[in-house]
Amino acid sequence: MKAATDAGLLFRRYLVQLLRNPVWLVVGFSTPVLYLALFTPLLRHLVGAPGLPAGHVLDLFLPGILALLAFASGSGPGFSTIFELRAGVIERFRVTPASRLAILAGPILASMLLMFAFDAVVVAIGTGLGFGVHAGGLLLLCLLLALLMATVAAFSIAIALTTGDISGFAAIINGLNLPVLLLGGVLLPISLGPEWMRVLAHFNPLYYAVTAARVLAAGTLTGPAVWQAFAVLTPLCVVVLSWATTVVRRAVA
Amino acid sequence: MTAVIDARELRKRFPGGRHQAIEAVRGVSLRVARGEIVGFLGPNGAGKTTTLRMLTTLLPIDGGSATVAGLDVQRQPGQVRGRIGYVSQLGGADELATGRENLTLQGRLYGQSRADVARRVAEVLGRFDLAGFADRRVRTYSGGQRRRLDVALGVVHEPEVLFLDEPSTGLDPQNRASLWDHIRGLRDRGTTVFLTTHYLDEADALCDRIMIIDHGAVVAEGTPRALKHQVAGDAIVLVTRDADAAGHAAAELAGQPGVRDLTLEGPAVRLYVSDGAAALPGMLRLLDRAGLPVRSLRLSEPSLDDVFLRQTGRSLRDAGDTAPPAPDHAATEAAA
Repeated sequence: MKAATDAGLLFRRYLVQLLRNPVWLVVGFSTPVLYLALFTPLLRHLVGAPGLPAGHVLDLFLPGILALLAFASGSGPGFSTIFELRAGVIERFRVTPASRLAILAGPILASMLLMFAFDAVVVAIGTGLGFGVHAGGLLLLCLLLALLMATVAAFSIAIALTTGDISGFAAIINGLNLPVLLLGGVLLPISLGPEWMRVLAHFNPLYYAVTAARVLAAGTLTGPAVWQAFAVLTPLCVVVLSWATTVVRRAVA
Repeated sequence: MTAVIDARELRKRFPGGRHQAIEAVRGVSLRVARGEIVGFLGPNGAGKTTTLRMLTTLLPIDGGSATVAGLDVQRQPGQVRGRIGYVSQLGGADELATGRENLTLQGRLYGQSRADVARRVAEVLGRFDLAGFADRRVRTYSGGQRRRLDVALGVVHEPEVLFLDEPSTGLDPQNRASLWDHIRGLRDRGTTVFLTTHYLDEADALCDRIMIIDHGAVVAEGTPRALKHQVAGDAIVLVTRDADAAGHAAAELAGQPGVRDLTLEGPAVRLYVSDGAAALPGMLRLLDRAGLPVRSLRLSEPSLDDVFLRQTGRSLRDAGDTAPPAPDHAATEAAA
């Protein structure tokens, strides 16, 4: 009960902070829109190429952008944790009786709400450009994106709290960013790659999320890709969240 | 005395990376009674903040035990948090939020109802002279306003004990004096205040009792007056007609009880005596009878720096940046 109230209070606080810092909003909105505007045209002639499914190019590409957005929205709270650590905000919260999980959940949920706002814009623009919307699939996709985003966010906050400074944090997050994104098949499906890449991808949780996102966006709710993604991401999210809560409890930085 | 803070043999080690582990706190024991203002005085890196962070549940305790407000810090951290306030060196107010928003959230996190919080926030805003800009964003506050808000954030839930880490660092003299008044005001309301400082004048002006800490251990403890008393007594400077008269005066005074370290400086005689204010009238009468009238005099009490110097062999002013005398302390100092 107290945890839920605290999470609500810290959610509101973080959301207000986000909205008062318009730079974040502009960056958050422009990234997916730029991908749509500057990357999609390159794919136009690839449709129907061997290894690629048929259909509109956006049906392939837009779910990847949504996964990319979840990934980027997840690292946001990590960056602000570094800043708030430096400003003494985290310590101020840690010395109150506020629930440790709420200290984590507040920023995660606020960023998640913002992510869904970005998602809505991306889907709206995509629909205008020919992306086929399947309501049921999109709804389940939202759940999947929420899981992915929460996992990445909890991970990035925990890394921020353990490293305590921007250079250490950025080294780890950026170091993981590119290989995870490329091996997740975010921009182009991994099915286009050689076998070693396809094998390697199976060790990357993002790969399952992206694969399921494409299936869900196409309107298929029950394929093996879908349950595999939930089977991978649900326990992962729980494990990372509880690890991050322990870090908040013991944080030394 | 009922101790609001009772710590025994607190210890903290930090892994030292390539070097050996650093013992930041080595067996600190302390008792603070209700309604006291007690200060930790010591140079940077002495272990002040580390001890404070252990007492406020922010840092795991490696050795020893501590109770705050009658609750065990290690076993009941959640309940301890509900009874204490803590203001770090950084403060930690949200810059993008207003003073009122900051205080309201803080009060709500302590589980108080919306109505209770609104009432307390209004009261605290008034008490800390923040009401005039309560609805402006903290980013626009001056250093002094900001610091008063930090302290207000620490007391909005009316804690039994307030911990302040270096409260006046970076403030100009006027704002320091005003902050000290606010802190004294907290004591008058019954709040126990435990603070750290590396400023001699702050410890002297604010604290009922001081613990001098160096290299992770308490080296002296007492009221500012008693601490200074135990050092060298008071310094007295008596200015006579000329150097010749000063020499005669010194000869007269040398036989007086309690007089130490007599030195001549031109027409002036400098000496130390345990209670200067009590000894002065007798000295003046003595010199008058001897036909050596005193033209002016100065009585100065020893400073806390004299105390620190005597306990550690270093001046507090240099202790933060000069190498300590004992080689086994090098690691601690380097890490700090």
